[in-house]
Amino acid sequence: MSRFTYARAHSVEEAVALLSDPNEKSVPLAGGTDLLVNIRKAPPTFTRVVDVRRVPEMRIIEVREAQLVIGAAVSYTELAESALVQRYATCLAQAARTVGGPAIANMGTLGGNIASAAPWADALPPLICLDAHAHLRSVEGARSLPVAELVLAPNQTRLRANELITHFTLPLPAPDVQSVFLKVGHRIAQTLSRANLAAAIGRDATGRIATARLVVGTIVPVAQRFEEVESLLIGQHPSPQLFVEAAARAAEGLVRRVGRHWATEYDTRVLKALVVRALRATTAPSPTPEGV
Amino acid sequence: MEISLVLNGKPITVEAPAHITLLELLREYLELTGTKEGCDIGECGACAVIMDGMLVNSCLVLAPQAHGSTITTIEGLCNADGSLSDLQENFITYGAVQCGICIPGMIVAAEALLAKHPTPTREEIRQALIGNLCRCTGYQQIVDAIEATAYARRHLAESVARA
Repeated sequence: MSRFTYARAHSVEEAVALLSDPNEKSVPLAGGTDLLVNIRKAPPTFTRVVDVRRVPEMRIIEVREAQLVIGAAVSYTELAESALVQRYATCLAQAARTVGGPAIANMGTLGGNIASAAPWADALPPLICLDAHAHLRSVEGARSLPVAELVLAPNQTRLRANELITHFTLPLPAPDVQSVFLKVGHRIAQTLSRANLAAAIGRDATGRIATARLVVGTIVPVAQRFEEVESLLIGQHPSPQLFVEAAARAAEGLVRRVGRHWATEYDTRVLKALVVRALRATTAPSPTPEGV
Repeated sequence: MEISLVLNGKPITVEAPAHITLLELLREYLELTGTKEGCDIGECGACAVIMDGMLVNSCLVLAPQAHGSTITTIEGLCNADGSLSDLQENFITYGAVQCGICIPGMIVAAEALLAKHPTPTREEIRQALIGNLCRCTGYQQIVDAIEATAYARRHLAESVARA
């Protein structure tokens, strides 16, 4: 294994200073569950890792000014167990429960999942579904952008070389909104996603769907909303026929986005099933939607 | 670089390169070979240890990340006098050990579970072992051993409380 050095940051200021040191090619290290696998596949291009796992500002989960604030170094286990995340970002808590097994979930982080930007990233569809923003910091300053705009292509984000994701924010959903995350993997557990999906549905006083978000991941190059399915749902009463129509439109939308190829028959069939299950879960009478 | 940690209850300091994993630190630098390398990519759980109260795959922890932490390996999970723990004895009694390569990781994962959930259901035990692969047993006997241990510990705790 190639050699590199290690530095531990105790604050965001220290972290971004280390990342900008011109004498090293530094990358952030949080949980290590992606980075340590990557350095087995290809020699590291960096000369130093900057450990940000314990930076206090990056480990918070709190509500601030009607926004849920989640630090980038929060682990999947912390996300899954957080009462605030379960309540205000249900689909994210559900996604966190499906990543790897306990040992992976204890170390892997939200920021790491997004920064790695694998096509099968499980935290990405929920964050896009919940209209989350990513907050970035470097020695040049701070900026934020919608998570939906952060990932450009598989394994490619807008993050600059010396930039660090410090935290994510998302608006607290309206009380009538229910969200869900669903995942199909090659295995039942400890598996990468073969297809994943996050949905959030809000209803008005008559029971009609008033707000809809549907974000498909893995079977598209980058997780994205399927607005054409969302607009089909708005103003409608939930019904099995509506769900089937929405599923069909999602399948058409998939083919429009990625064309027809060797996996189309599988992907469209699974997508339709996930859309129907997601709509059932988010329009169920009880406030707790079904999980994975 | 110097890495200081509390290992199986004892504070130690070891000199090691920054780019190695905790697994390599344990096996090669500290000569604690109970923790196994099964896959080196965090999928099999044979390398599991408890770090700061959490189950982790030591092959995915960079050694310097363990600086300042508390680590328990399989070597730290037997009784204080070196005899096998109740859990380890049950693994033998219930036929949970065949080739043995997964066993340290299974014991570590089981103890991590029982520390947080002393009375798990069989389903909860299986969930806790998601990251531990066994190619020999088919898992039934492993779940049996953990369930029996949890049951016996609870009974012991209850009779102590009643005494």
